[in-house]
Amino acid sequence: MPLERATLLAGAPSAPSPDPVAPFTIAAEPGRVLGLVGQPGSGLTRLALGLLARPARTGMVAVVDVRGWLCPVAAWEAGIAPERLVVVRCADRSAWLRVTAALVEGFPAVYAEVPAGVSDADLRRLGALSRARRSALVLRPIGGDLPIGVLHLRVEAGTVVWQGVDRGHGALLRCRLTLRASGKGARGIERVVEMEDNGSHALRMVPGLAAAPSGHAAG
Amino acid sequence: MVVAADAWAAAAGVAVGMRRRQAEALCPTVATLAGDPGAEAVAFEPVALAIEGLVPRMEMAAPGLVYLPVAGAVRYFGSEDAVVGKVVAAVEALAPGGRFGLADGPFAARMAAELAAEAPLIVADTAAFLAGIDVAAIGISELVDTFRWLGIGTLGDLAQLPRAAVASRFGPVGLEAHRIASGEDRTVRPRRIPEEAAVTETFDPPLDDFERAAFAARALAGRLIEAVAPTGAMPHRVEVEAEAVSGMVRARTWRSSHPFSEVELAERVRWQLRAWVESGGVPGGVVRLRLVPADLSDRGRQLRLDEDAASESDARRALSRAQGLVGPDAVLQAVPQGGRDPRERVQWHRWGEEPGVAALDPSAPWPGRLPEPSPALVPPEPRPFEVEWDGGFPTRVRLGSRWEPVLGWAGPWRQTGRWWEGETAADRYQVVTSAGAFLCEVRQGRCFLVGVYD
Repeated sequence: MPLERATLLAGAPSAPSPDPVAPFTIAAEPGRVLGLVGQPGSGLTRLALGLLARPARTGMVAVVDVRGWLCPVAAWEAGIAPERLVVVRCADRSAWLRVTAALVEGFPAVYAEVPAGVSDADLRRLGALSRARRSALVLRPIGGDLPIGVLHLRVEAGTVVWQGVDRGHGALLRCRLTLRASGKGARGIERVVEMEDNGSHALRMVPGLAAAPSGHAAG
Repeated sequence: MVVAADAWAAAAGVAVGMRRRQAEALCPTVATLAGDPGAEAVAFEPVALAIEGLVPRMEMAAPGLVYLPVAGAVRYFGSEDAVVGKVVAAVEALAPGGRFGLADGPFAARMAAELAAEAPLIVADTAAFLAGIDVAAIGISELVDTFRWLGIGTLGDLAQLPRAAVASRFGPVGLEAHRIASGEDRTVRPRRIPEEAAVTETFDPPLDDFERAAFAARALAGRLIEAVAPTGAMPHRVEVEAEAVSGMVRARTWRSSHPFSEVELAERVRWQLRAWVESGGVPGGVVRLRLVPADLSDRGRQLRLDEDAASESDARRALSRAQGLVGPDAVLQAVPQGGRDPRERVQWHRWGEEPGVAALDPSAPWPGRLPEPSPALVPPEPRPFEVEWDGGFPTRVRLGSRWEPVLGWAGPWRQTGRWWEGETAADRYQVVTSAGAFLCEVRQGRCFLVGVYD
């Protein structure tokens, strides 16, 4: 699979192209539902927070935190100002849909963890609401997957490679995520992209697949 | 910062304005309590009622700080001394140790109260009184350093400068500082208060508990600010009026030298409701709550070009609905505070409420703090985490049902914690596997997960 150029300019106009090698954008776009699928540890929470950073420049953004584990320090590092971020903790599956729908109605961008057991029909209703309200919705299932028809773009975590530590020395510095993007937002073509996260706002695309430098731990 | 100290602490040398550490050094057995303005409002309510009984149109600035317009009372009681004497007697009977000042304007009166010792301080010549006060008293921090650099050390030095020159050099903020220094408080530019600006809410069943009161206060404050904001105006005074089940109507005016923000106003309404509800001032609960703005100024917050007032209003409505669904404790915002690990560095507070004072100074250096990037997921409490060790080095970690080999790690970093409070030391590790990176700690031979670099 060839590596595509990708940018993480959340909110920037995305212009999906039928050209399979043309650039495309992973973005939290108004009225679009983006799905992030991967295990905890795959770097997708930071990716989601990075996607919210752009809408957070002009308004408030919300996170639906099902596990109660979200650490706002990571959001601040991603570029979201503390006063622009609201975290709604909702472990109750029965309330999750109504809470998320309320937030989608009022916020330009929402990142919602999806608890296990939410029906596909409910997620479709949420997607329709997101389109109607022109709100960007980023969904992250806690276990399981998301129904294909709901998502404008599905991003699945591949590998995550951390750099900076080695047998007790150093500290985590940056990571590279390999992601597989598919769905309408990718024009039906599965694209493999690589992003680098160095802890600052600079979640950025990597121009080519590169192995971790020797001497660095790579997962 | 110490904001109040009882007689025992004061005898040991603890004084208002001291840093907490300094106070604890002077008096090691002292018990320090975090400020709770709501509880202070409840405790102050009997005093407020006693003062209201003597002088009408009292205005609260904070729990424990009230302003009284005394012109009418002076005519009624015959002299300033008589009014002050009555007020002091009424307050001392309930809460000994108060401070009282009388001057031509609110700022000078407050300064007089702050400087008053045991006896009330009645200022005859306000300008002369203010002239000797340090320029920092104006409370506009961005100007004070510049004033000092220019050799302006007291309010008198500032008041002597031509007002036009100060306005030309420092703009509206400088003009305000000059007025304060001259004993002229903010010039009230009466603006027409739109009738629809007053907001009312009725409650059925009656509002009789603190949680619902807080919720109602926030919603109503939001509506009031929303009603006046389109005109660019913001209130400096708001009358809070509550009607009890019995038909009794209570009202109290709150004032602020700067325009109330929505959050500040909600806090005041909440404190006032709590004071009334908990002191039995509204028997049976509140059936109607009304906020009436007064003293509107044109200092409404200007939105930046890229801000959207409508979207903020939508967000507020959405969050109010979310609070109704999951409760106010689940709708949160966070502000940074000091600390070494990510959980410590976050101070949570309910959305719509002011964050408390940071327990850990965010501007301190915090040596040993984990560098960026921080874990995006931090469990509320450390969770048991199975790690296999070989010669003191981590070799495998258990993730769910499978074991993952450790590809790299950093640490251990020792955290001694508050050993004087019985906390045990912990060694922290960053552990990298093919499934991601984790932050774990080993405490008393057991390993716990404290963060996931997700």
